[in-house]
Amino acid sequence: MDQRSILDHQFVVAAYTVTWVIQLGYLAYLGLKWRAEKRRASIDSGNKR
Amino acid sequence: MKKFALGIYVAIVVVLMVWGFYQAIYVAPDDALQGYVFRIIYYHVPSASVAFLFFAVSLLGSIGFLTWRRNRPEWAQLSDAWAVAGAEVGVVFCTVVLITGPIWARRAWGIWWTWDARLTTTLVLWLIYVSYLLLRRFAAGPQVQTLAAVLGIFGALDVPIVYMSNRWWRTQHPAPVFGGDADSGMKDPQMLAAFGWGMVSWLAWGLLILFLRYRVEREHQKNAHLEAMEALEAKI
Repeated sequence: MDQRSILDHQFVVAAYTVTWVIQLGYLAYLGLKWRAEKRRASIDSGNKR
Repeated sequence: MKKFALGIYVAIVVVLMVWGFYQAIYVAPDDALQGYVFRIIYYHVPSASVAFLFFAVSLLGSIGFLTWRRNRPEWAQLSDAWAVAGAEVGVVFCTVVLITGPIWARRAWGIWWTWDARLTTTLVLWLIYVSYLLLRRFAAGPQVQTLAAVLGIFGALDVPIVYMSNRWWRTQHPAPVFGGDADSGMKDPQMLAAFGWGMVSWLAWGLLILFLRYRVEREHQKNAHLEAMEALEAKI
């Protein structure tokens, strides 16, 4: 592999990695938010009793 | 049954993502001018398309909320949940566009950023929807949903400007790959296939995330409603 190919490859890896970090990070954030809402619902129903 | 259907859909999305990645990296040939780095297009352009689509979902949700907020409150809440889901997931995809774009630009043009029409209007679009999300997060009171809906509608006006920017003005950003002049369009069938799979797979992933965000918002609305009713019934 020449220098140009190596650099090209690194830029593609960087772009693809950043994309997946953002997407999977957001998915994890949604998971935490879902869990928090479920916990809030169980606390609310506990208060009602 | 719903969980089973969701599981099947998640499996399809995973297969599509792996297939799309395989097409982009191993099947599509290098670009004649840009070489290997051109493969960023298979993530960059589908992300932009999905962001535009979800901002349109947010627009429809905002219009629905403003239309039904007085006479059909349940429909208005459903619309509002779609509006916030579309805006937030749209911002996620727009963030991907604004980061993968400069990475590609650094290699192709030798610069990370330039204030040309396409880049600037995309940044403005991102800022508008980030302000929409900040408004929803930090403002309080009964008018927040209405204010957010109005902002969401005005934000969506920037989408056609972003789309048309490299048609209306001469820009550093390349001319549109599709829907441009008579010469536009990918000529290589393998490149075209990789691009198509990229669009399908990112759309499938985006719809999954959009649905999950919508469910979280509906749960949030139910809890907020329950707490408001409890507060009304509480003994003084």
